[in-house]
Amino acid sequence: MTTAVSNGGPSKLTSYLADETRFAHIDKVLDRRGPWTDERFIGGQETKDFLRTQSKILVIGAGGLGCEILQNLALSGFNDIHVIDMDTIDISNLNRQFLFREADVGKSKALCAAEFVMKRVPGVKVTPYHGKIQDHPQSFYAQFNIVVAGLDSISARRWINATLVQMAQDDEENLKPLIDGGTEGFKGQARVILPTVTSCYECSIDMLTPPTAFPICTIANTPRLPEHCIEWASVLEWPKVFKDKKLDTDDPDHIEWLYRQASARAAQFKIEGVTWALTQGVVKNIIPAIASTNAIIAASCCNEALKIATACAPFLNNYMMYVGNDSVYTYTFEHEKRPECPVCGGESLTADVGRDWTLEKFIDSLIARQDLQITRPSLSTSRGALYWPSPPDVHEATKPNLEKLLLDLLGEEDGITVLDPALPVSLSITVNYV
Amino acid sequence: MDDSIDVVQATTGTSEIPSYRPDAKTRRYDRQLRLWASAGQRSLEQARVLLIGPDATGCQALKNLVLPGISHFTILSPNITTSQDVATNFFLHPDSVSSSIADESVKYLKELNPSVEGTARVEDPLSLISSEPDYFLSFTLIIASNVEPSLLLQLADLLWDASATVGGPDIPLIAIRNSGFVGRVEIQLREHSVVDTHPDTSHTLRLDAPFPSLEQHARSLDYATMDSMDHSHIPWVVLLVRAASLWKESHGGSLPETSEEKSQFKESLKAEKQKGDEENYDEALAQAYRVWNKSEVPWELKQLLEDDSVKNVSANSKNLHILLHTLGQYVSSPPYLPPTSPSLPDMHSSTTSYVSLQNLYKAQFQEDLSTFQSLLTNVLTGVGLPEDAIPQEEVEGFVKNVSGVGIIKGSPLRVSREGKGKLQDEIAEFDDETDSATCFGMYLALLASERFYATHSRWPGTKPKEDMAEDNREVEEIVTGLVGKKEELPEVLIESIAEVTRGGFSTIPTTAAFLGGVVAQEAIKLVTNQYTPLDNTVVINLVKSESAKFKF
Repeated sequence: MTTAVSNGGPSKLTSYLADETRFAHIDKVLDRRGPWTDERFIGGQETKDFLRTQSKILVIGAGGLGCEILQNLALSGFNDIHVIDMDTIDISNLNRQFLFREADVGKSKALCAAEFVMKRVPGVKVTPYHGKIQDHPQSFYAQFNIVVAGLDSISARRWINATLVQMAQDDEENLKPLIDGGTEGFKGQARVILPTVTSCYECSIDMLTPPTAFPICTIANTPRLPEHCIEWASVLEWPKVFKDKKLDTDDPDHIEWLYRQASARAAQFKIEGVTWALTQGVVKNIIPAIASTNAIIAASCCNEALKIATACAPFLNNYMMYVGNDSVYTYTFEHEKRPECPVCGGESLTADVGRDWTLEKFIDSLIARQDLQITRPSLSTSRGALYWPSPPDVHEATKPNLEKLLLDLLGEEDGITVLDPALPVSLSITVNYV
Repeated sequence: MDDSIDVVQATTGTSEIPSYRPDAKTRRYDRQLRLWASAGQRSLEQARVLLIGPDATGCQALKNLVLPGISHFTILSPNITTSQDVATNFFLHPDSVSSSIADESVKYLKELNPSVEGTARVEDPLSLISSEPDYFLSFTLIIASNVEPSLLLQLADLLWDASATVGGPDIPLIAIRNSGFVGRVEIQLREHSVVDTHPDTSHTLRLDAPFPSLEQHARSLDYATMDSMDHSHIPWVVLLVRAASLWKESHGGSLPETSEEKSQFKESLKAEKQKGDEENYDEALAQAYRVWNKSEVPWELKQLLEDDSVKNVSANSKNLHILLHTLGQYVSSPPYLPPTSPSLPDMHSSTTSYVSLQNLYKAQFQEDLSTFQSLLTNVLTGVGLPEDAIPQEEVEGFVKNVSGVGIIKGSPLRVSREGKGKLQDEIAEFDDETDSATCFGMYLALLASERFYATHSRWPGTKPKEDMAEDNREVEEIVTGLVGKKEELPEVLIESIAEVTRGGFSTIPTTAAFLGGVVAQEAIKLVTNQYTPLDNTVVINLVKSESAKFKF
């Protein structure tokens, strides 16, 4: 511990930690109830003991939101905090990920953040995991009371959401509240998901703005915007020139190459506006991010965690949006469960299909669905694979089916099972001919 | 049209293009530069921020300003760090106990960004206001976090009075008050200019009133001799300008008005199609409504042009006022429209058709800019200023994005503190059924608590729990006095008061972090003159995760 070298010495720290009155601020709302406080609130020592000595909380992501979440949880009295993140620190994180310094660039976010919080808030234990959330079994997640997610990845969110819903479906005792935050520029949202009880992340998947996709023919033949030239460089030129080398968008040499290619193409077509920043923004799909917005959303997430852990006030039911680019605006509402949600809904999904549809057309219609957000689906019936993009031998065997009529392929059956890398569960679709 | 290009040709000779690899600073700030660009960053890097009341909320706000790179911050406080301070504030450490809180929090905040300068001033703000009032006027922005109500009011008066003199400093004051789950943020400033609100779109397509070169271009196309490839790649803007121009010719100069005419217009557009699947025509049909959406000076802009400070300008006027004054002259001659924007949305088109259309808009923008420029020169010399009094970059930015400017006029904090002004209207219109009723109740509770503090020198809810009821009753009485009604307070007000008292004016770390984020967002908007800041009060209720804003 670094505190040993300071002028106060360890005795200052010891007396600080022994002084329970240091929590006087937060104790105001933990000792006494407010007008809207729930019946189950006990208050006083028992509530504080649960918060400070028994509760165990998991933070997913140690990035922009994660750093803020760790700070807030530690100060709120959560003393057994676990944090998981697979990323390492980049210089562009430093404008908001305030637990990291220039000297930390390249280090593990989870490890660095945990170390910092423990140094700054003595008495708090933060256990870091440098790795993927998908590498931990359900039993790992079962040990926590609450999960707070500050992720920038949709697929990671879908995975943890499905995992927690599954756990709650299997055993009511395993219901772990999931608090999820996200930001973009001056805007953000925080939500509380009680798996199987409230709407889940998958229920609202259609609220996501679909990523800007430029048609290949525009990129290849009729570029108009600088973005089209950049996409041309990254999607068409890179694989052509570097057959076996994967594009690494974190490698400045790769960005440099793309930038040069895109600039040359733009010059050829008299298109203005290709810059390094735009090149990087397009290929990495960069979302603007600032400390203040992360602070607001992370604070909201941790405020909900505190309320859930102590019952000192009713928790959010179940979605809050914050919009800061035009004055200050919040919108709080209850997002409704979707009965046909593939993760938490009971009803199976139906797809309206033309009698003249080929399997390929059907697959394209699935990919286009805003409520599914899938990219590379594998389709099967009870009799076996209809079409699988991988492994290669099954792909070869099922590829001819693409041109066949769905009606002929299915025969009497109307049920199709869909698996997709983006989809955390398998999806049952009932075909309805129209 | 040259759709196919020689890849070899495109990939050779690239060495002539200079590398614009960003430097370390640009990389550090990359994610924020995408919001406020280099102009915003320049303003931020000149900002000097003073924090009075270095509690957790104030330090959280500073954290969010140090990280994006303000120039300087000062923390002003005579206080010594207590263990309660440490337990709520991430920018203190148990070692800080018994040391100056200003020194200690500056030390930990400075770590966040080596290019930001931080200073502690260990002095009583109240005595500094009387001994050295000019000190406060040396900052770009002042944040007062949970300071004593009387100190806040003196500071607010000082800043308001300083801004009264023409050309005097108009320093925004952001005042924070929090109690448990409840927070309030107020901004006092005399006038604030927004140079870029970042509207969703800044296009001025002028489909109904095309500038001559646009109409000429659209009319010059000969669809009959075009091959089908070219025909299906005419941008929808051109299709609509041409169709509208033809329509006007055959309808005595007027555009489609009735719904019958509108569908007729669309039918004639459809009839131009050479094939069923021409995407450009699908786009044109979807955008056809823009033809009968009259191009005009936007309402908000008209309001700005009518403002006294814009109508009557002098050598002391702000640049934005002079620019708007000039714009007023600009739109009072034909075509009575704001300058053309050089920007064009993406649309289905060939490269060459798109680029040449874009060039038409760019050329018209240049022409409009020079017209504006000569009007501006007259205005400037008219008030006795040099022709180049406003930097060219600023003029160009303004002309490019006239619908993205805004002016906010503030009022002195004292007015609402005394229960006067617009607060009276708000009280008169109070309806306990509305969504904002709880937050307004909390506003009244905070205001009443400040009066409670003036009498008792302590906050409501700061005695042991059995005394909450007594404090509540007294705050209720003050609120009853404020709303000026004899009958019992509505339930929502009683509850709001109870929650504020329960918080005991304590600083919960999560509330502090939330408010610190809100304050920093507003500070950034004020300092960069980009995006629209709060005008002028917001109450945050973190029991229900809701907020409401008020203009007092």
